[in-house]
Amino acid sequence: MAAGIRFDPYVVPALDGVAYGLLVFVAAAGLVLCFGVAGILNLAHGTLYAIGGYTAAALLDGGWPSLALALAVGVVAATASGALVAGLLTRVAARNHLTQALLTFGVALAGGSLLVGAFGPDDPPVRVPAALDGSVVVAGHRYAAYRLVFIVVAALLAGLLHLVVRRTRAGMLVRAAVDDAEMVAVLGVSPARIRVGVLAAAGALAGAAGVLGAPIIGPGPDTADAVLLLSLVVVVLGGLGSMTGTLLAALAVGQIQTLGVALAPSAAPFLLFAAMAVVLAVRARGLATARRTT
Amino acid sequence: MSLTMPRRSRARTAALLALVLLAAPACADDEGGAGPGGSVKIGLLASLSGTYQAVGKDIRDGFQLYLSTHDGKLGGRTVDLVVADEGNGAATAVPAATKLLKQDRVVALTGVVGGGSVAAVYPLLNETKVPFVGSNGRPELKDVSRVWHTSYLSDEPGEAIAQHVRGDVKGSVYAIGPDYQGGWDELRGFTEAFVKAGGRLANPDGKATFTPFPTTTNFTPYFARIKASGADAVYTFYAGSAAVDFVKQYAQSEVKDLPLYAAGFLTEGGVLNAQGEAARDIYSVLNYSPDLDNAENREFVAAWKAEHDGSPTTYAMASYDAAAVLDRAIAAAGDEPTPEHVNAAIGQLGQIASPRGTWQFSPTTHAPVQKWYLRQVRQDGRALSNTVVGDLATVGG
Repeated sequence: MAAGIRFDPYVVPALDGVAYGLLVFVAAAGLVLCFGVAGILNLAHGTLYAIGGYTAAALLDGGWPSLALALAVGVVAATASGALVAGLLTRVAARNHLTQALLTFGVALAGGSLLVGAFGPDDPPVRVPAALDGSVVVAGHRYAAYRLVFIVVAALLAGLLHLVVRRTRAGMLVRAAVDDAEMVAVLGVSPARIRVGVLAAAGALAGAAGVLGAPIIGPGPDTADAVLLLSLVVVVLGGLGSMTGTLLAALAVGQIQTLGVALAPSAAPFLLFAAMAVVLAVRARGLATARRTT
Repeated sequence: MSLTMPRRSRARTAALLALVLLAAPACADDEGGAGPGGSVKIGLLASLSGTYQAVGKDIRDGFQLYLSTHDGKLGGRTVDLVVADEGNGAATAVPAATKLLKQDRVVALTGVVGGGSVAAVYPLLNETKVPFVGSNGRPELKDVSRVWHTSYLSDEPGEAIAQHVRGDVKGSVYAIGPDYQGGWDELRGFTEAFVKAGGRLANPDGKATFTPFPTTTNFTPYFARIKASGADAVYTFYAGSAAVDFVKQYAQSEVKDLPLYAAGFLTEGGVLNAQGEAARDIYSVLNYSPDLDNAENREFVAAWKAEHDGSPTTYAMASYDAAAVLDRAIAAAGDEPTPEHVNAAIGQLGQIASPRGTWQFSPTTHAPVQKWYLRQVRQDGRALSNTVVGDLATVGG
């Protein structure tokens, strides 16, 4: 019983940390692909998530068909935006990261203003399917039904992503490009094409995360920045090009943001970045750097 | 003076006065309101971009609504309203205010969303000696001789509702809010008055819990702590997107059955639409609600709805009142509505009829002494809206 009293208040935060972590994973996976494979630091990545979020807010009406529609439209819109960023980057792709960062940051600012212009300065409401718009009892605690289902869906997405990267030809090319881009070029595959493909795929992931995650990290003027920041933290913690490392880092970020806050509320403002500093200090190249592209 | 005046002299004064009064409108007509005596320049500073742009636009629209329903005049003079963007805070507010005060040389300044912006603009007001009729943020200020607010002080909402919560809740109340000056003031107002009324806080250390602002978007860990504290109700203050996150997550959390009391900004304006069903039944305290039953409010709400979607907010109402204050002050300032005269006239206004009910400036704080209302989010036709369910304390001064 004593143990029950001690652990009981932390069940929901721990569960919520998984939901939060998986959302951050789906959002950050695209950024890891971009940075790890194409070597592009895409600071407009958060904006791609926001596109998905605003699509969800605009299209969801409480029914299942609208969720499917929003997912399709959001993914297509974010994929197209990702490809657009790749197009804009063609001329500066060979330059250093600072140039890329400046260009994509400009895209993020312009995109953010366009989204606010189109959807207004307020955070728009997001209506999840009526069947999920409630709470369920998990181990004696109330928890949002949507988030519980989201955990399952995001876990499936993570598994799918793992299979694509490990088992498909596209995934192999991507992994090959990380290891030796020149050799891939010699094999007759244009690095430019891989770059466009990777940025579009990253856009698709961010768009899907934006639509499905809208009830958790909702669309609004600050969404793009918040998601970009979390994704960058995951990139730093997880190392580049490693999906396993990204997943572990994202789950850690989720737990720090929920369980960490529940355990040490007074340290809440610093926890995430303190953890980042510790990881950087201990292992200068991230949590999972031993095996790249595992 | 009139007592000692000879009868004949009094008659002559009266005749002279009548002549002046008759001549004045004719004179104004001749000048077409464009002459130096016919118009007056007012500066309005509000966040038209950035985080608080929804509030800033309400403030601008509230002031303009007063002008459009009063022939574009304040105190009988045609108003040249100069609008400037406050942006996200002090860094953008100061240059904008400098332009209004030094280049446009406005007679009075109004608006300003952020308390931090007010504090940053304050030295400029002292330098130019222009009166400021603020309609929202109000920081701690040493000398308020030229500063007036038609809004409220940050600790007043909590103070006004504390006694009611004490009587309504059988047990302890958990107090939680955002970790910045506004949050500290709002929560302090509640916790001090609540404890003084004999209430018990459920927070483990007996002090309000503060969440990092604006970084907190997931309140689940805090709800787990509220549950663990054994609280019987919750009191909170959040605004903007934090209010949306808090309310939506609360409705699906472990503590969803605990009654939620809040400073009215939690469910005010655009955030209520975003919260939707999750906001149903929340109690809040505010100095205004669009369904208040008085003549001024019916007129105000009808005029607002003719131009905008939805009901007016307390932000729009406070700015509408700032225009009403300037209207009467400029009229009372006489032939020369200089900043000095207008400021002196504001101090002599007495009771002000307003959509929120009658109020007056406190002689010490220069903020309203006003009645606060208990509201509950209820169905109103197709939409949810804040419905007045009772009067709370009159607070101010």
